[in-house]
This record gives sequence, structure tokens and C-alpha cells, in this order.
Amino acid sequence: MNILVCLKQILDPEIPARDFRIDPVKHEAERGAANLVTNIFCENALETALQFREHHGTGTITVLCYGAATAEDSLRKALAMKADNAALVLNDGNQNPDPLTVARVLAAAIRKLGAFDLIMVGREAGDWGAGQTGGLLAEELGLPCVSFVDRIESNGGKLRLNRQTDTGWELLETEVPVVVSVTNDEHNVPRIPKVRDVMMSYRQPLTQWGIGDLDVAADEVRAGNSYYEVAELSIPEKESRCEFVTGDTLDERVETLARRIVEVTRAL
Amino acid sequence: MNAVDICLFAQAGFDKAAQGLAGAGRRLANSLGTELHAIVLGPGAHALASDLSLVVDKVVTVDQGEYEPETCLSALTQLCRELSPRAVLLANDTYSQEITPRLAHRLGGSAVGDCVDVHVDGETFEVTRQVYGGKAQAVIQLKRQPAVVWIRARSFAPANPLAVAGEIKQAALDIPPDTRTRIIERKRETQGEARLEEARVIVSGGRGIGGPEPFDLELKPLADLLGAQMGASRAACDAGWVPPTWQVGQTGKKVTPDLYLAIAITGASQHMAGISEAKNIAAINTDPDAPIFKHCRFGIVEDYRKVVPLLREKLVALQK
Amino acid sequence: MNPAGPTRQIYWNISHIWVMYVLLLPTLAIAGYGIYRYLRNWRRGAPAARFDQPARRINLVLKHAVAQGRTARNGYAGVFHRFISYGFVILTIATTVVALDADFGTSIMHGNFYLYFQSFTVDLFGALVLLGVAMAGARRYLQRPKKLVHTNEATLILVAISLLCLQGFLVEGWRIAATNDPWGAWSPFGNLIAGASRPWLGVAAMESSHRWMWWFHLSLSFGVIAWLPYTKMMHVLTAPLNIYTANLETLGASLKHIDFEKTESFGVNSLNAFTWKDLLDLDACTECGRCTDVCPANAVGKELSPRDIILQLRDLMHDQSRDSQTKIIGSVPATSPNALWQCTTCAACMEACPVFIEQMPKIVDLRRYLVMEEAEFPDSMQQAIMSLEKRGHPFSGTNATRLDWAEGLGLKQISETKDAEVLLWVGCGGALVERNQKVTRATAQLLTQAGVKFAIMGREEKCSGDPARRIGNEFLFETLAKENVENLNRYEVKKVITACPHCFNTFKNEYPQYGGMFEVYHHSEYLARLVDEGKLKPLSQVNEKITFHDPCYLGRQNGVYDAPRQLMQISTAGKALEMGRSRAKSFCCGGGGGMSFVDEPATQRVNQERAREAIETGAGVLAVGCPFCMTMMEDGINARKGDRDVRVMDVAELLWEAAFEN
Repeated sequence: MNILVCLKQILDPEIPARDFRIDPVKHEAERGAANLVTNIFCENALETALQFREHHGTGTITVLCYGAATAEDSLRKALAMKADNAALVLNDGNQNPDPLTVARVLAAAIRKLGAFDLIMVGREAGDWGAGQTGGLLAEELGLPCVSFVDRIESNGGKLRLNRQTDTGWELLETEVPVVVSVTNDEHNVPRIPKVRDVMMSYRQPLTQWGIGDLDVAADEVRAGNSYYEVAELSIPEKESRCEFVTGDTLDERVETLARRIVEVTRAL
Repeated sequence: MNAVDICLFAQAGFDKAAQGLAGAGRRLANSLGTELHAIVLGPGAHALASDLSLVVDKVVTVDQGEYEPETCLSALTQLCRELSPRAVLLANDTYSQEITPRLAHRLGGSAVGDCVDVHVDGETFEVTRQVYGGKAQAVIQLKRQPAVVWIRARSFAPANPLAVAGEIKQAALDIPPDTRTRIIERKRETQGEARLEEARVIVSGGRGIGGPEPFDLELKPLADLLGAQMGASRAACDAGWVPPTWQVGQTGKKVTPDLYLAIAITGASQHMAGISEAKNIAAINTDPDAPIFKHCRFGIVEDYRKVVPLLREKLVALQK
Repeated sequence: MNPAGPTRQIYWNISHIWVMYVLLLPTLAIAGYGIYRYLRNWRRGAPAARFDQPARRINLVLKHAVAQGRTARNGYAGVFHRFISYGFVILTIATTVVALDADFGTSIMHGNFYLYFQSFTVDLFGALVLLGVAMAGARRYLQRPKKLVHTNEATLILVAISLLCLQGFLVEGWRIAATNDPWGAWSPFGNLIAGASRPWLGVAAMESSHRWMWWFHLSLSFGVIAWLPYTKMMHVLTAPLNIYTANLETLGASLKHIDFEKTESFGVNSLNAFTWKDLLDLDACTECGRCTDVCPANAVGKELSPRDIILQLRDLMHDQSRDSQTKIIGSVPATSPNALWQCTTCAACMEACPVFIEQMPKIVDLRRYLVMEEAEFPDSMQQAIMSLEKRGHPFSGTNATRLDWAEGLGLKQISETKDAEVLLWVGCGGALVERNQKVTRATAQLLTQAGVKFAIMGREEKCSGDPARRIGNEFLFETLAKENVENLNRYEVKKVITACPHCFNTFKNEYPQYGGMFEVYHHSEYLARLVDEGKLKPLSQVNEKITFHDPCYLGRQNGVYDAPRQLMQISTAGKALEMGRSRAKSFCCGGGGGMSFVDEPATQRVNQERAREAIETGAGVLAVGCPFCMTMMEDGINARKGDRDVRVMDVAELLWEAAFEN
């Protein structure tokens, strides 16, 4: 079973709020001193793929990214985690393309890379959180799609997927090929690559394409806003004064805490 | 035609999300000068349709069995092609989230999700949503029609009841079943009567809890005393201490309680994104600099292990 | 025969002496083979450069192999060990003299030399050996200290030594009696035997006993010689060799560099991945147990035992059934991952070792394998490593920024000014941990007050890399080191002050490898100098008794003990107290080696043990000089709340408080 995992490289989502700044003209966050990391849900997807291969034997894992040149680091890390092949489509246009643009580029790259049974994405990205890549990619490729998957097993030539719902989970069986978006779970915490593998990963080949190398409308892709566009970006002001309960003893403080809770809940 | 359509899955009934969705739809329809229609799918569609007809102009039910991803999408697509809505609004449940972009694609429109505001500016459909894990807010303009949008339904005020109830119709669709995917088994966990998103009081635990046992032994009794539902941060879910359905946050439940009691939760922005609509937030945390305190109404800087048992005693005394 | 002048007949009463020479052959062969095995084992190891600076090395050997400086730290053991070792040296010289006179035609054993040395001194030292063995035996079998390993071999050795000396005295005594030796009184103990034997044995009986005992003594001596390389007695050869090839740098510079371009595998999990010096270490061990005795992890009941690591690896190395590729980690109990992850890298073990074994670097070598080859290490440390990789600091989850502490102080960043003479390197603890931010502020304010032209790195500061290195991720350490060195060199930084001993150690001893040559000062050193120069004048004093906890990375590993004490003394009115374990023997706070990121079991907390010691001094203030110590000791003291209220303060904070705040 050949698997393809899409990755996105984003600004570290865990930088302290005080260090987070935006460019109101470009409508994006400022890089500042923050690092670039692979989106955690994409890593969950990759980890799921790696575990699937460990349990079910055969097939290759290819990782694909549409992004800036820095995205190569994300792909190298994926190779260090023991993905087999990596491909980067260099984005030299709008660095925050809309989800349909992304889906079209990924679909074109996937068609060019070959035939895959399982195409995986993270459920959403930690920066813009659109959560549409999986669904739109499935539509572009004409494939079925299952979202919020946290476990994948093989069943004959089919796949058994466990996916999370609001109130529990669902177990689905699907034919391949299929597009799956992956969510976090206690079992798909991404593995730490061995240092040796990290070093080796920089010596492995990496396919690199430009937008012009793919079968897409290049100008529209570079503009990246035919589906939707960010009109404004701001950091909302939110200041609230927290009352830290006081008291000479722990007992007194918890007494105050209890009173506050009752005030707020009984006021219903 | 060209109405605003709201789309609901019937299994949750006319809950706060459905009401908020109707309210959002009505205000949008008014600003466009069009009608508000509703599409209801799934078993129990008729019951929900009756409730909805009190606030929407027309309800179309689709007699579909339980949710199946491909079949539901096909049904909805066909129906929307017939109805040709200007905009389709959905709530923030998992089915709606996954169907939204695909529906938009099939209808040639644009989708966007997790919106806290939707409006039309002249011809342009605009939404507001949090981005960057809750650290920033964006206004997004949709370029194609129809706009297919899922919203944080419970944050919107409900719609006013109509003088005359809307009509209810059943759609006659001819959808060949899509057997590429099929559901084998479903599990629906319940947490007592209310669901987390409906809860008015939530007791939530984070990484600082340290393990699964304190959730059962310390936090659950506290929640029971308060009539609260239990929640958790992503860290606690990822550690396997609590089921993933308890996760509150950017990629978990968005909750709107009157009181959200955050215990041993740091308050990273991704978590705050799930409780931004909470009326009151309180926290128990050993770190006075934890970001959660910046969003709190009140809190205590102390080890929860010392506070929670004592708190239960105090609450019992006060509730007498 | 009555030769002129004092002497005795060599081989009196002994015939067929050729048998001795014949017996010498198998003896030497067996011993030689034994020694050859050692060399063969050591050669399995990787190269190491340990023969430079011979003068310094010889000096070490004189101080510690000859004068046995470290051995003598335990007074009682020092005494009996010197008795035994010096005794044997004297006896060996005496025997050599006999051999020279017997086989090489010399005439040394005559006259005053015969009387004063060959008779009196030799007798005295022979008796001292016996006394030493008795003292050793009393300790081993009556007192039974925990650190000693009880083996049959150890017993046999003590018995053999005693027997050899007793035999010697008997042979001597019976010769003196049987020959009516006129110089007999010059060998007091032999003479005693002679006197005691006369009533019981006639001359013929003494002669035959003498002959019998002489051959018995010869057999036992040759037996012991042949047996020596197969026992821990080998330390008489390996210990001086190990001391000669010791690491001449300070303890802070103990870890090995890895050349990632050239190395095939990272870290150690097989004997041939150790260097020959590491393998020599294993054979130099005398089983004294002092390393485990001073190990802070072991002291609080954890599994880690440096002595057991060395001895079990030694046995592994000698085990013929295991080859050089045999995996080390976990194959013997002492090297279980659990034990390896308990080490704080404090180097107390190395400081205590009388023969200069390097225990701690081996633990780090094994950690390197686990981290870099297997990616198998404790979750809590994984968090720290991931945070280092993503954010350049080990405190995952913090929301502080690198400049929060500096708010309102009007400090210049190095990127903004050309004026700065010195860089104040804040470190991750000093910037991101709330309690330590106060120390950084105090330090900066003191420097400002003293008119020092300094700057800070601000956001460009990245972790020095020390936690990564100690946890075993040498690759990450190198990445961080290179980045920091590049940044510092770009700004042409020459002098660095830091309040963190880990940064201090890294900058001073580890950055030169990457082209970073800086003059590095611990903040206490620099502040003490400012006080000396009159640029900082304390106006008042803190009125409390105070004790100082020496940070391992400042004190034991880098030899800085006095500067912080100086600051402490001028800051406080009360008497300065020393804890029992201070200066080079300071007991670790438990925070080094990545351990400050780990949740230890409640009953096995190193910091609480140290807190107990601090509280027991009766001090009202515990002074520290390290952000890790600050965190660990505050936790430790808090955990023992109820004992007494003790404030934990950095020496800079005390100076600031005393000098300027009121």
C-alpha cells in the first residue's frame, strides 16, 4: 500500500503570546525569532502512516509539501523519521494561498508523483486552521474522504479507519484509494528521529518542482486568492483582571474560591 | 431561490447549536433580503423539522439513514443544486465540518469554517474567525458563490419565532449509494444528560493533573457537586488520560459555559480558542504566570491536589 | 661462615636453588600472560591522546600513586593502605638487593646498609604490612562499610599477604636462632621469633623448619606474583598507569568531542566503542567504593552506582564468551537505562576516585547511544530536547520571552551598541524562569551601578547547549554551540559574564572546540572583583546566618570556590557556615544532567537530601550561585517546610539586597 502524506510547515504555534506579532498589511504573522516547524497534525498523519507500515509490511511512504524553500527542513525531518521519498513544490507566489489553491497544487503534484492508495493530511494547520485541505483534495482527485481519523488498519485490500466524532467514534471501512485527514491521539504522537537518520536525511534525494512544472493555472495559483482572501488581520485586545483569592490560610482562600464559584453558578 | 439555507443533522435535535444556527441564518437572510430555509438530514429529521419550522420559512427533510460521508454529501449536493442557495450555513459538529469544503467544491462555491461572525458587505460575503491558534482574528472574503460556511453555532443568539410556521417538505432524491466507504460501527458516549458543548458548568483538567486517576478521584466528584460536565486540554487527551471527546480547544470542543473551571491547565492560546465564549473562567494552577489567569475572572495559585478536596468540602457546606 | 662485617649468607640452609630459577619461568609466564590479556583488552578500544605533557603527568603520579594523596582522604584507609603499599615497596627493594648480590656480583648487603636498611627497616615495614592488613581486615569484616564489595578474592588476598609476612618473619627468626646471628637484634621482629622459638625447637628442628618454610614462602610468593594480574592486586600496575594517563583538564571538560563527519556510530554500546583509556579505567578500579559513596543519586536510594558500572563493565570485558560487539546497555544491571538516567553529571565520583577513573563521561557516552542511535530516553527529557530544537530553550510551555526580565532597566542589546566591554550572558534559566529573573535583574543592576559597560544578547541568545550535551544529544549541542559561537564572534565579544555555572562551564571549556575563545567569568567572580576595586560598596548587611551551596559546575568542576564566599561574607552580618559537604565535596542539588526536567519519585529526591543538610547548619539563608540550584533548593526547602524557614538567595541578590535596596 503506497501512502502519501502532505505536510505543511508553519510558524511555531507555541511562541509566547507576547512575542506574537502580525503584519497588518501583508495579513500574516511576523516571523520574528520564532522557528518554523512542521504542523503537528501533519506529523500525527506521518506517524500514523509509519505505524501502519510497521504493522502491515509493504509499500512506500512519500511526503509532499507546497511551501517556501524552508519547507525542505520539514521534508528532511520526515525522511529522518523514515519516510521514503520527499517532494517539494516551491511556492514563489502568495505565501498564504487559499485552501482550493493548495488542494489544486497538491492534487497536480500527486498525479505527477504516481499512484497512491492512501493520501493523508493533518486535520488542519496550526496557523490558519482552515481544515479544508483534506476535503478539497479529495474532490480534486475524485476520491472519497474520511476526516478526523486517529487509527488505520488494513483489512484485506481495504482500510479500516477509526475516526473521532463529537460524541465518540466511528469505525469505517473504505476502499482505496482514499483521502484521510488525521487528528491527534495518544497513539500517534510523532516519533523522535534518531540523530543518525537526521544526518542521513540530508543526503537523500528530494524532488523539487516549481509551480510551472505542474499542470495548474500558474498565474491563478501564484495569486492564490480565487477561492477566498484575507481582508483583515488583527490581534484582539483582551484584558481581564483576575481576582487571585486571598486569605491567610489555604482554608480561607479555598473558602473564597468556593463562594465565587457558587455566586457564578447559582446566578443561573 | 437564492435563500440562505441552514443545514443540520437531526440527531442532536433542536439544541443550542441548532438555535444559534437558525439565528445566524435569519440575520444573514434579513440582510440579504431573502428567506431562510433549512435542510435536515438523518433519522429524527421530522421532529427537528417541526421545531425548525417555528423559526425558518421552509424546511426540507432528507430521509437519509444514519450519516454516511459520501452518500450524505451526494444528497446534500443534489439538493443544493436544486435549491440554489445564496449561502449555506452549518454548525460546528464533526459531520458539518467535514462536509462543508466538499460541498462548496461541488457547488463551485467557497467554504470557510469556525466563524464567529458572518455578514455580507455589498456583494461580498465576509466572515470573521480566530486564526493562529486563537492569537489573532481575521476577516475573510469569499470569492465564489454560494458561500458554504460552518459557524460556532452556540455563540450566536437564537432566531425569533415566526408568526406563521414555515412549511415542511420532504425531498425526493435519487442518490445511488456510494459503497466506497461504509460505517461498520458507531459509538456514542454520553456524559450524563448534557453534552460538553451544552454544559453550563465545566470542570476541565490539563497536563498538570499528572495522570488519569485524579480525573476520576478528584475532579469527577467536584463536577458532580456542581452539576458540571468534564473537559480536558489537549495534553491530557494526548497522554491518554481521558477520552478524546473531552478535548476542549481549537481542535476540540468549543464550549460556552457560564463557568469554565480550568484545573492545572496552562492556558495556551489553542486551548483558549475553545473557551473564548465562556462567560466566566476560573483557574487553579501552581504557576501565577500561567496565561490562563489573564482570561480569568478569579483563580487560586496553588496545587490542585491541595485545593480540590477542600473545595468539595466547602461547596457541600455552602450548598446546604 | 663468618664473613667480615654485618651481612648474612644468602640462601643459607637452602640447596637445589636452581629449582627457584626453574619455578620462575612458569611464574613469569603466567603473570606475563595475565598482563598480556589486559593489553589485549585495552587495545580493543578506540584511540585516545593521553601521553602529552609528561611533566604534569609524572607530577600526578608522584602525588597520587606514590604519595597516595586521594587514598589518604579517608584517614584510616590512608594509613593502612600506605602501610601495606610502602611495606611492599620496601620488601621488594630488599628482595631486589638480595637478587643483585646473589646473581649480579654486587656487594650491597653489607655493613651499615645491611643493618639499618636490610635488617631494621625491612623488619619494621614487614610488621607495618601486617598491621595494615589487620586494620584493613577490621574494617572489612567488623565494620563492614556499605561501599566495599565482599568477594572471596579480597579475603584471599589479605590472607596471602599476611601469610607472606608471617612466613618472612619465621624464616628470618629461625635463621637468626639457628645461626646465632650476631646482628639478629637489628631485625627486631625476626629476633622476637628467634627468642620465642629457642625453648621449643632444637637447632636441627629449626634448620628443617626454616628450609621448609623458605620453600613454602617461595612458592607462595611466586604464586602471588603469577596470580597478581588475575586479581585486583593488578591495581599496583594499572593505578599508576591510569593516573599517568588521566584527563589533565578540569572536571568540567571531561566529555569527549564527537566528529560527526567521521564517526560511524554515536555514543557507546559496545566495548570497542570505548577508548582504550576507558577500558584501562575499568581495570584500574580497586573496588574501594568511594564513588558510589559520594554519588548523590545513590545517596537517596536510587539504583545508580558508579562503582558497579565500572566493576560490571570490567567483568564484561574479561568475559571471554562476550566479544567486542556485545551490547553493553542493560546487559549488566548497573548499566540499565533506568540507572543511566539518574545521573546528574555532578562528577563527585571522579573527584573521589583515588585512581582517577572517569565514571561520569562513560555514563554520558551510554546516554549518547540511547539518545542519538535509538531515540530512547525519558519523556520529560524529550520535552526539553524538543523545546531546545524548536525554541532554543529547554523550558517547554513557558510563555516568558528572553527580554521580559529586563523591562525598565534600560539595557543595551549587543546588536545596538559598539560600546560594550563585556557581554552579560543571561542563560535560559535566568531569562525564562520567574524566580531566576530576579537574579538576572540584581546582577544587571549591580553591574550598572558599578559603571560596567555591558550589553545583553536579547532574543538572539540560544541555550548554551549544556542540557542537550548532558542528556546525550551531542548533535543538538553542537548545533547550538556553533550558532552561539557564530553570533558571539559576529559581535566580536571577548568577555562574558554569566550567572549560570552550566553556561560558564560550556563557554569556558567546550566552546573553544567550535572557535569560541572567550574570557568567561561567573557573576560572583566579576562582582567580587568589582567589590575589591571599590566599584561596588555594600552599605549595609543582611542580618542572618548564611551557608553557601557550591554549584557542582562552578566549584568541583571548575575550581571556583572563593569568589561566591567572598560575596556572601560581605553581604551578611551573621557567621558564614559551611555545610559538611562543601567545596569540592559539595553535594549536588540534583538539577544537572537533565535531571531538573525529570519528576523524581517522592522518596528519592536529591534536592531534599541537600536541603536537609542546609537546614541542619542552622542558617537562615541558603546562598546559591546557579539557576538550577535555585530551583532545586527552593523546591527542596519547601518540601521540608515545617523544619524551619530558610530563604534561598543567589549571591548577587544578597549583594544587591545588602548594598543597595535599603
